[in-house]
Amino acid sequence: MVKVEKAIELKEPTPGMAWATGAAAWLVPGVGHLIIKRPIRAALMGGSVWICFFIGLAMGGHMFDLSTGQGSGAILQVPPMIANLGSGVLYIVCWVMGIGFADDPVQAARATYEYGNTFLLIAGLLNYLTMLDAFDIAAGRKS
Amino acid sequence: MRHFLVMTLFAALAAFVFGGMSKDTPREQVFYGLKVFAEFIAIGLVLGWILYFIP
Repeated sequence: MVKVEKAIELKEPTPGMAWATGAAAWLVPGVGHLIIKRPIRAALMGGSVWICFFIGLAMGGHMFDLSTGQGSGAILQVPPMIANLGSGVLYIVCWVMGIGFADDPVQAARATYEYGNTFLLIAGLLNYLTMLDAFDIAAGRKS
Repeated sequence: MRHFLVMTLFAALAAFVFGGMSKDTPREQVFYGLKVFAEFIAIGLVLGWILYFIP
């Protein structure tokens, strides 16, 4: 009986609002939780992403796109680019404005360059987790 | 010292997100966040000392 109930629950379609919330959560870190009226979660989780991203930029970190810099193949750029893409609009704005994408040897020589890279990657990955959290709450899978 | 501060900042930011998304009640979230934070710092220090002795 329990198995039948679970099967019925799984067949329920995910509400469109949940997909919209997930998309908004990816695009602007923290907004997904604001939409579902969780302002404290939005401030803590979204705020962490924003802080992580800007600290990474301030440290001189480098973001990845499909351009082949420093002799490496385009395929090697894809995994870190996926991580960077998690930052949503932050990545897009920087990409459009050309901030954080230059292969500058002076920038790469900074002591905090690798830290900056890591913070930028982690900002995107943390936002993927934040997005999934907002999606689950909006879909009613989590309280 | 700067390296440690950066590691601490990273651990804190990650702990906020992990704590927020992994548990349901605020009390559980705080405890889990603190646990994750402590684990990041402890593992970072242990790995740092292990790598210190490897030439």
